[in-house]
Amino acid sequence: MEFAELIRTPRVDNVVLHRPFYPAVEGTLCLTGHHLILSSRQDNTEELWLLHSNIDAIDKRFVGPLGTIIIKCKDFRIIQLDIPGMEECLNIASSIEALSTLDSITLMYPFFYRPMFEVIEDGWHSFLPEQEFELYSSATSEWRLSYVNKEFAVCPSYPPIVIVPKSIDDEALRKVATFRHGGRFPVLSYYHKKNGMVIMRSGQPLTGTNGRRCKEDEKLINATLRAGKRGYIIDTRSLTVAQQARAKGGGFEQEAHYPQWRRIHKSIERYHILQESLIKLVEACNDQTHNMDRWLSKLEASNWLTHIKEILTTACLAAQCIDREGASILIHGTEGTDSTLQVTSLAQIILEPRSRTIRGFEALIEREWLQAGHPFQQRCAQSAYCNSKQKWESPVFLLFLDCVWQILRQFPCSFEFNENFLIMLFEHAYASQFGTFLGNNESERCKLKLQQKTMSLWSWVNRPSELRKFTSPLFEANNLVIWPSVAPQSLHLWEGIFLRWNRSSKYLDEAYEEMVNIIEYNKELQAKVNILRRQLAELETEDGMQESP
Amino acid sequence: MSLLRGLLGMELIGISVRPFLDFQERLTLLDSALILDVPLGVISRIEKMGGATSRGENSYGLDITCKDMRNLRFALKQEGHSRRDMFEILTRHAFPLAHSLPIFAFLNEEKFNVDGWMVYNPVEEYRRQGLPNHHWRITFINKCYELCDTYPSLLVVPYRASDEDLRRVATFRSRNRIPVLSWIHPENKTVIVRCSQPLVGMSGKRNKDDEKYLDVIRETNRQISKLTIYDARPNVNAVANKATGGGYESDDAYHNAELFFLDIHNIHVMRESLKKVKDIVYPNVEESHWLSSLESTHWLEHIKLVLTGAIQVADKVSSGKSSVLVHCSDGWDRTAQLTSLAMLMLDSFYRSIEGFEILVQKEWISFGHKFASRIGHGDKNHADADRSPIFLQFIDCVWQMSKQFPTAFEFNEQFLITILDHLYSCRFGTFLYNCESARERQKVTERTVSLWSLINSNKDKFKNPFYTKEINRVLYPVASMRHLELWVNYYIRWNPRIKQQQPNPVEQRYLELLALRDEYIKRLEELQLANSAKLSDPSTSPSSPSQMMPHVQTHF
Repeated sequence: MEFAELIRTPRVDNVVLHRPFYPAVEGTLCLTGHHLILSSRQDNTEELWLLHSNIDAIDKRFVGPLGTIIIKCKDFRIIQLDIPGMEECLNIASSIEALSTLDSITLMYPFFYRPMFEVIEDGWHSFLPEQEFELYSSATSEWRLSYVNKEFAVCPSYPPIVIVPKSIDDEALRKVATFRHGGRFPVLSYYHKKNGMVIMRSGQPLTGTNGRRCKEDEKLINATLRAGKRGYIIDTRSLTVAQQARAKGGGFEQEAHYPQWRRIHKSIERYHILQESLIKLVEACNDQTHNMDRWLSKLEASNWLTHIKEILTTACLAAQCIDREGASILIHGTEGTDSTLQVTSLAQIILEPRSRTIRGFEALIEREWLQAGHPFQQRCAQSAYCNSKQKWESPVFLLFLDCVWQILRQFPCSFEFNENFLIMLFEHAYASQFGTFLGNNESERCKLKLQQKTMSLWSWVNRPSELRKFTSPLFEANNLVIWPSVAPQSLHLWEGIFLRWNRSSKYLDEAYEEMVNIIEYNKELQAKVNILRRQLAELETEDGMQESP
Repeated sequence: MSLLRGLLGMELIGISVRPFLDFQERLTLLDSALILDVPLGVISRIEKMGGATSRGENSYGLDITCKDMRNLRFALKQEGHSRRDMFEILTRHAFPLAHSLPIFAFLNEEKFNVDGWMVYNPVEEYRRQGLPNHHWRITFINKCYELCDTYPSLLVVPYRASDEDLRRVATFRSRNRIPVLSWIHPENKTVIVRCSQPLVGMSGKRNKDDEKYLDVIRETNRQISKLTIYDARPNVNAVANKATGGGYESDDAYHNAELFFLDIHNIHVMRESLKKVKDIVYPNVEESHWLSSLESTHWLEHIKLVLTGAIQVADKVSSGKSSVLVHCSDGWDRTAQLTSLAMLMLDSFYRSIEGFEILVQKEWISFGHKFASRIGHGDKNHADADRSPIFLQFIDCVWQMSKQFPTAFEFNEQFLITILDHLYSCRFGTFLYNCESARERQKVTERTVSLWSLINSNKDKFKNPFYTKEINRVLYPVASMRHLELWVNYYIRWNPRIKQQQPNPVEQRYLELLALRDEYIKRLEELQLANSAKLSDPSTSPSSPSQMMPHVQTHF
């Protein structure tokens, strides 16, 4: 298929662009296979350069011969294009519609993008499972790497390499896989060096209505317990939901078969409930009517902050089990690809100082989201504006980022990265020139040959010039466990995401810049001090040499 | 008078504690796990709880309601009637007015190396504004508070209005609070003028002198065709005030004026609103419907209306299109909020520590905001309808602005909280009494210490490290509900879960960085001195490196 077939009108002159914080500009609108470009042809700068894949929905309306297209983006921005000529306008609109909803992943921009920068470190190889495992292997010999899923035959949504208890062989893993939803047998997610406790994650056990059991499964998770110790199973569903799951062949671990484990049910919402919450929230944020009396009610009615609270509370509970109770935990919901990953990754943010650094956080995303099989392609296909309700969209990853932001807000000095880093990850999860967030799991990524055909987001982010933008000037390594508050007054709306296009952050950035400036200045001063000190030392040795003969 | 230092040996159920009133007139409760420290001035109400026959844990003792968003409950053992003594001593010292005792500020002998009473000198402040000038003069007509007993002695009025004119205008303004200048724009010379409502009454009375006076104010700036009047009240309230002799400037009578209502509610509405805020934050934060509960207090909505009003005043003046006259009913509550906030937006001077102190001294204290009635210093009538958190609301607005403009204010959050703490504490004379004439009669400046003495002798503690001094920038905060927040560090500070936020970690880190900078600069200078000493030393070989480091410029 040629993109040209989809582009009915490649360019229109005298188009007027309206967008937040900028005066309207008139220019030429061009459509390419992957971008919508508006150029005013002044100083040769493009005013707008928008990926089609960032477009969530478009509205069109006409006043006489003047057509208007309102473009609603996945990053929640809304822009307006006034296009003279009804036919042009209709052509542009239908072209955008077609180009922003391409079916085939291989037609997406990452397969066409050629980087203009020199790749210093190939991001596809930055976080190999073997290297990650080495971080643990110095502390424990109870775990091993298993290649049982090499061909993705045991579990299609797992990576080829997983970490499992040393005492469990691959044959047993294959059996356990048949007992867990989607073949997602329990694997190691996090090892707490301080006391050797672990977080494992999996899919739900397939007990069904007749209470099936699996000896190997019981053996596997018991293998992670120290003698005489009990562990916790955190089920991210309410007891009722978990019970209902039995009718569909799913279920939960029965006390009788897992006597060494205590099960705790927490209720984290899924799929369409989260999606509806996002839609309501964004609607409230964009409400331009002057009657703002009901803003707080609307914010509350969206339930977004309630979801944040539920997720953070569960993550805190998991972290408490590990750090305070000294108990290992297994976490799962139904599939183990959404709420499970929110909890395991946030627990690590709380417990593990490394995951609060830039490298460590990237490794966390790579491990707990990409390799763990969070279906990014499905979840991030549409955002808050799309009307066509497919049932797989859900802002699971955005909620995770929001939770990280809440913790960052409460512990501003404990994170090496800043808010912009989180915003950048949100943007790239929904629309990107990089291949990192394409596909639903490692197996799909392998088939797409992303490593060969696209560029990794990390290759770009980890260049010093980019890193500078994402580094927090406040960072001071904090080796402690950080316990976020989930009290209602401690949780805030993430303005950087949701009110980003409603209000300029100019004044708030000033204090931040002050901070960056003084750190730069201090570095300069330190360098000067060092030079002078060296000079002084040289002078002194010369003195010594003159005096000695 | 001997200061009370009695140990009241009192046993809390379960643990033994020793609450005592110390020489600072604070209620201090010492226990290994807990230090409770409450200035007695903060106490609004003391009640006995339970009786001799009460059973159950913590059912007998004292309930203390405080003005600063918390309640205290002392549970006692019934034996020994220790409660009676405690109750009486606390009541006497918390409510000295009812017992013919002096307020603590008159007993406080604290010494500071700065005299806060020197901070505000009206002549100097008006001179800073470029006054008097061709159009505005300083008048001493109110020297003995004869023209208006709730106004300061020194007033700025139009040059063209004679003292006789002022006296005639005074008869037509509620409590004689005539329109006088608060602030003049340094370039476009438009002004903010404040006053009380005109005494229009049901019959729609007019007063030629008042009408002429307003026109004279308008004419102080030749380019202006209309004077803008902002009536802070909701339209209906302004109309209702006619029944009690008040009212507003009608179009018929004031041809060259345009009047707008700003819809800010009265002191009773604000008091009830804050009460609701306290209900949802103390002792526990309302968990299940936090946001809608917060909304139903309407506190943030009131904040929004006050800020919106002030923005309109500031915008009018800054655009140079019109001078502005602000009033409400008496011109000492909402009017003070509007003029002072607008001045804060317009004039960067007021955003410094001393500038802000001057702003408070001028627009609030000297112009007769009734602190004594609104706060009820030393007064036991906790249900007095005159009490209202108008000044707190103003400080909240300032805090909202400081959140939106983190580099614009010289002071930090602690500064604002300290002001509020001493609004109630009665340790300083600053907020005592309702107006300047009363303060003069009581010789407050001679007999008490000023709050600004405490603050200005310890300024570093109250400084915002991010402050970058900028002249002439007008700040327009976003007064949309989306961007206003509940001031958690103030309203919910007694909640132990909120403790971790203080002190502000970002501020702390920045201060460390600043200290590091100074350290480097110092070391650099020392090294440069040592180096140049070496270089000028004749024993040093001439071949040694002679390039000197250029002197570091401190561009911060």
